[in-house]
Amino acid sequence: MMGIAYAVLVLSSLSGYAVSAQTVTSTNDLAFGNIFPGVPKAIVKSSVGDAAEFTVTGTTGAEVTLDFTLPAYMYTTGANMPLFFSSSDCAVDSTNPQDQSNPSANNLNPNGTITYRIGSNGMSVWLGGRVVPGLVQKSGSYTATIRLTVAYTGF
Amino acid sequence: MGNWSIFNIRLLKLAIVTVALWAILSPLSALDFSDGTASGTVLTIITAAATQDLAFGNILQAVPKSIGYNNDASSAIFTITGEASAGINLQLILPEYVSLSDGSDRMTIIFSSTDAAVDTTTVTPSTISASDGWINQNPYYLPASAVIGSAGTTKIYLGGKIVPSVDQTPGTYSGDIVLSVSYNGS
Repeated sequence: MMGIAYAVLVLSSLSGYAVSAQTVTSTNDLAFGNIFPGVPKAIVKSSVGDAAEFTVTGTTGAEVTLDFTLPAYMYTTGANMPLFFSSSDCAVDSTNPQDQSNPSANNLNPNGTITYRIGSNGMSVWLGGRVVPGLVQKSGSYTATIRLTVAYTGF
Repeated sequence: MGNWSIFNIRLLKLAIVTVALWAILSPLSALDFSDGTASGTVLTIITAAATQDLAFGNILQAVPKSIGYNNDASSAIFTITGEASAGINLQLILPEYVSLSDGSDRMTIIFSSTDAAVDTTTVTPSTISASDGWINQNPYYLPASAVIGSAGTTKIYLGGKIVPSVDQTPGTYSGDIVLSVSYNGS
């Protein structure tokens, strides 16, 4: 009998969660394309198809934190190449529709926590960056992982 | 109540506890992450080599001597390798004099405004034409639109003029000609 009462209590508790779980998905990679040795190359956050893009979904109006884990280098076998993210390399838009060229929050610092609210159509996050190859940078394909972690703040 | 019923009750309790734990922990897992990738392809390293010196050979006192950039045997040749069709910056640093190794005498060397050629098809100094790149170029201002040839190589041919004095000290004179080359990103 106590077991049944406990079950009712738990189910009642479950019914109180109105916040849907948020998700984040990488929808475009940060693509530098061809890089000449000795010639730094930057990708701006508004560059469609080249800037990194993440799509966030969740409860409309809920506040979330965005935390990037940014690499300091891109790598190929036996070599690396410095990668920099400036204090204005990130943009966020939670309006509907979202506009990469005119985001609702621009020039954000991806090196720190960003706090923003999810819109009715979710949220898009864009990231640019700059790569600095050496004069004798080893040729080849370089990659690195960019992680975006999203969490509700409870507000 | 038999053993079977007792087992069922225990199973039910276990299920309830599991659901309760899930309910308690689920708010803590309100976090998600996604991994994207930064990527890029570094192209071929650019290199430059002096593959032939500007050689005036024997020089008579007070008799200036010129070597054209189209002289296969005696013009200076620089060979540049890199990414095919990539834009490059070229700069020659040219001496005003050549000197004896002990520095006791020196001789004027002059480069005219047509003493250089840039060859993107790797023909030869004597056979290069305008369609092969740039001919009759000022070595102090090599073409800004220069590129690596489609085969991944570009050559620079350089001539010059030496002007010995009437009392020029006999001996072997030399001076450095430096080519600086880099990608311009185009």
